[in-house]
Amino acid sequence: MPIEIPKDKWPGTIHTVTLGATNGEGGTRSKTVTFGGETTMPFLQFEAPVPHKPVVAIEIKDHKPEDWSLLLAEVWGAAMTDPAEWAKAAENAGADIIVLALSVNDENGNPTTPEKAVGTVKKVLGACGLPLIVFGPGQVDLDNELLVPISEATKGERIVLGICEDKNYRTIVATAMANGHLVTARTPMDVNLSKQLNILITDMGMPADRILMDPTTGALGYGIEYGYSVMERLRLAALQGDTMTQFPMIVTPGFEAWKTKEAKVGEGVPGSWGDWKERSINWETLTAVSLIQTGADIVVLRHPESVKRVKYAIEELLMA
Amino acid sequence: MYIIGENIHIISEKVKEALKVRDSEFFMDLAVRQVEAGAQAVDINLGPRKKDWEEVFPWIFKAIESVVDVPLSIDTTNFDGIEAALKTVTKAQPIINSTSAEAERLERIPVLAKKYNAKVIGLTMGASGIPIAADDRINIAVESLIPRFVEIDYPVENLIIDPLVLTVSGCQEYCPQLIEAVRTLQYAWDPAPSISVGLSNVSNSVPTEGRPLINRVYLAMLMGVGLKMMIADPFDKKQNEVIRIIENRDDSSAVGKLYLKIADKTAAGDELSIDDVDLSDPNQVDIWKTVQILLNKVIYADSYLSQ
Repeated sequence: MPIEIPKDKWPGTIHTVTLGATNGEGGTRSKTVTFGGETTMPFLQFEAPVPHKPVVAIEIKDHKPEDWSLLLAEVWGAAMTDPAEWAKAAENAGADIIVLALSVNDENGNPTTPEKAVGTVKKVLGACGLPLIVFGPGQVDLDNELLVPISEATKGERIVLGICEDKNYRTIVATAMANGHLVTARTPMDVNLSKQLNILITDMGMPADRILMDPTTGALGYGIEYGYSVMERLRLAALQGDTMTQFPMIVTPGFEAWKTKEAKVGEGVPGSWGDWKERSINWETLTAVSLIQTGADIVVLRHPESVKRVKYAIEELLMA
Repeated sequence: MYIIGENIHIISEKVKEALKVRDSEFFMDLAVRQVEAGAQAVDINLGPRKKDWEEVFPWIFKAIESVVDVPLSIDTTNFDGIEAALKTVTKAQPIINSTSAEAERLERIPVLAKKYNAKVIGLTMGASGIPIAADDRINIAVESLIPRFVEIDYPVENLIIDPLVLTVSGCQEYCPQLIEAVRTLQYAWDPAPSISVGLSNVSNSVPTEGRPLINRVYLAMLMGVGLKMMIADPFDKKQNEVIRIIENRDDSSAVGKLYLKIADKTAAGDELSIDDVDLSDPNQVDIWKTVQILLNKVIYADSYLSQ
């Protein structure tokens, strides 16, 4: 008996967003990355064509982080001590985008200065051809102090500046608007707050195709279902036509997964947990793939093997 | 609309201050003004008063009853405080606010209500909290709350069921379900209990300036499904105007006509259509947007009106 698969047709579309600018476009990137544009939920290609694939970013830091797992230190090796080398290695590992997360202090323990931060960003842009996302250290004053000169020094590159939050978005949005960049807006797993921040940023005049939203998520086993549900709700609202939720979503499963005991710790855990490295990579991969299923357009990862597996999963799901 | 005036509430700074200095005049005046503004009962919530209940409850109820004749609603979780208030009240049949379906309260409160011939507000909330679905809330009423009162021969007509309004800011999925709960509860038992809600809860944690409109629009929807009693602010003139418009079916103004339409469509199980709205009138557009968030059609955000 033939079975007819029910198909939804949605009135709303997610904004198509392009990151990075090539020589001809006013930047220096060797390629740009375009995502978004969805007209249905993920991997339902029988309902509507998938205009752009979800993309994978690799997170690097301005200097070697001391609190990252030994497994990450092992796999990136010496490249971790030099952001330019790290970016190059990430590009080789298959990243579509580089996320450069700045630290509060430099490698000598002194506060990160604007000059130093701008220098790091330029080094990374010089070392690899991928589009760039820059996250400030996550402190209001310091973020603004670093991100404004970075924005000015990279005018035209179409980088993403983050992280806009409800307590601090005006300065970041203003400098991104002035210099042709994009912003990412983060809210703590709450649909109302997520939409509100999008409205506030849009009210400042930021064009809709230069806004990403980060609804925040948890790792597998650590609240992923809450994050998943919030993202699903936002995406369904967007497809139903709510213009203030129609932005591509970026999430950081690498950051979340590598915080968990299961990924971080190799000793003092039950033997039945199995091989540490394999478990860690599974944790990051499964967290990321789950979030892609609920509409993530960019997943930010840390381990190159996870990148490979997540990209493989995306390809397989697109062929299904 | 039977309004139980909500303004004597410990959450208010003025109330806190007046209580501290035992300013009876303040409370008497606030009660009288609520009644003058149309309240048919006055709610008194001074918190649990765990340490001074023996003194505070008789004092406040005696003072307020000396100046108003309407029923007083004893709003506290303190069981001894409730009894102290019940012993004090002599004029109108008081209201105990409230019991939930949690075992301990449901064991004791109905017995007390029967003993002192008080009305009781029963919340559709069990040990595991407030269910989202209307049907689950009705089940709490007909399987736990009402049977317990029937069991002790308490007249169900004296029972007031409150299916619990939750805020559109954070509990949006509850908002349309509450409307259905109010609709169905009226037919859930014979004789029917009264139904009451705490209206302004729908806009908890909404910025102050945005609250009255959300309250009013929700009120029109709830009146559509038959709400006749609520705990609310009797001083809210625009809210009272909506009550008047719907009760008198006054369609002489454009906005009034829209509120009537909201009530009628909700009554019929329909939704307001954009064709019912004059989009050139900003007030009507705001009402339309508010209906959309209350029906959980559009995600609420503090700036939802500017979208």
